[in-house]
Amino acid sequence: MTREKRIIGLSAIIVAALALLPFVPGAADSYLFFLLYLFFLYTIIGQAWNLVAGYTGQISLGQHAFFGLGAYTAALVWSRGLFGAEHVYYFDPLTLIASGLVAAAFALVIGFPLLSKLRGDYFALGTLGFGEIVRVAFVKGGSYTGGPFGIVLPSSLYESLRPHYWLGLGLAAGLTLLIFWIRRSSLGLALVAIRDDEMAASSNGVNVLKYKLVAFALGAFFTGMAGCLQAYYLFHVSPEGFLNLNWTLYPILIAVIGGSGTVLGPVIGALAVTVVFSYANIFFPELHPIFSGLAIILVMLFMPNGIMRLRFRGRA
Amino acid sequence: MNHLLEIKDLSVAYGDVQALWDVSAHVDEGTVVSVVGANGAGKSTLMRAISGLLEPLSGDILFRGETLVGVPAQEITARGISHVPEGRGLFTQLTVQENLELGAYLAHVRPHFAASLDHVFTLFPKLKERRGQKAGSLSGGEQQMLAIGRALIARPKLLILDEPSLGLSPLVVRQMFELIARLHDEGVTLLLVEQNIRQALKAADRAYVLQTGHVAMQGEAAALLENPQVQKTYMGALD
Repeated sequence: MTREKRIIGLSAIIVAALALLPFVPGAADSYLFFLLYLFFLYTIIGQAWNLVAGYTGQISLGQHAFFGLGAYTAALVWSRGLFGAEHVYYFDPLTLIASGLVAAAFALVIGFPLLSKLRGDYFALGTLGFGEIVRVAFVKGGSYTGGPFGIVLPSSLYESLRPHYWLGLGLAAGLTLLIFWIRRSSLGLALVAIRDDEMAASSNGVNVLKYKLVAFALGAFFTGMAGCLQAYYLFHVSPEGFLNLNWTLYPILIAVIGGSGTVLGPVIGALAVTVVFSYANIFFPELHPIFSGLAIILVMLFMPNGIMRLRFRGRA
Repeated sequence: MNHLLEIKDLSVAYGDVQALWDVSAHVDEGTVVSVVGANGAGKSTLMRAISGLLEPLSGDILFRGETLVGVPAQEITARGISHVPEGRGLFTQLTVQENLELGAYLAHVRPHFAASLDHVFTLFPKLKERRGQKAGSLSGGEQQMLAIGRALIARPKLLILDEPSLGLSPLVVRQMFELIARLHDEGVTLLLVEQNIRQALKAADRAYVLQTGHVAMQGEAAALLENPQVQKTYMGALD
């Protein structure tokens, strides 16, 4: 237990230091600051997938739909004046929550038929189909969604990357803490039981469908908020930028590289992916995808259970 | 007299393949009932239908006078039926302690968890020693004990054991049947599925012999044990 307390203490110190970093003069203008923002964003989407797939065992390939739905919620709040004409969407708590809730609502609506009827690979394919439907719906959405071009938001509100950084850090740390707590609660016990053996879980009194839905919707909620956060950064919400399959592949990579089904795995994975992708992009711009792909293959070959579990090899 | 569990003309299919035809049976409170038969006779199918893991084609299953047909598995557990499935259904990635906690998942069971846990640890002292260990790292016999211990945590009114002796060494099989006798003495109602027919009949009050999805014979376990046809077909007795 003392080892665990040490990790918690160390994590708290790191989060506090990261939270204070923007006050260092010049820090907010450096490239590293942007990388840290990216690291937080990746942590959020990686942890969200970790909750659904790593802990509950439901492989979702539709995370990009939730990311896009969150971003489009923010965009439509502004372009359609959904919360009233005077309403400002930019870093507005109501808009942020709404983007998470819209994604979660879609997760419940699509999750109910998929999770009650489909298992394993079939559920994964079902979510992939859902993602495509959402993408096409936004592409064909005409003037309402801006079609293939999407919606451009007023970027004059931008002052610095600081609010993005803090919000990203808050969501990433909050979600990681939430997963830490869930794993120790009876909810977490139910999720892991479902992952291990669905039938045995239900014959122990676990309502399998309910808990799968809870995990799926919770994952969608945070992925939706991450989409909203990214919309605040890009000011251009489009199918290409937000409903791209990359937003499903990245979280999988992040969770699997770091160690899915562990609390800190996706954090480590997000760090690794940010560093590898960004530096490969700087030093070998043309070879970047090859370099990054190679890094992934190497990790999977030598650390098939992720970086987090490497240290526990040989223990019971 | 009202039976604790009553199965009426039950037919069950696995996908397109029908596995049970018009099976009727009953279990009375405080008794041990064995369901025996060869591989593929439909024993496990019957158990899965009772605990809600399979939906019957026709017929009815009554537990304390109420039907279980169409009731979801977790609700059947809540009504007092615990099923230890063939292959044990343990959560191998979870610790012994966590597996036992899952046995107390139902809200009405949770307040009794500490007391039930003590009882289970008295029955299986090994589990107490290994409570922090992953279930997957236990031996076959210990895993079976954990599966039964987890089912007992919920204090079921009916405990279903599906092939508890499967794949265990003769010594552990003997311990398993000693345990069944002990549970019987404690008043636990047991529905026992076994291929080990002689042992299963010795442990039971009543028994049913299933043959290719039908009830071939039924009655007092002691009488079936003496039945020449049972001896010939299932115990390899010579004419």
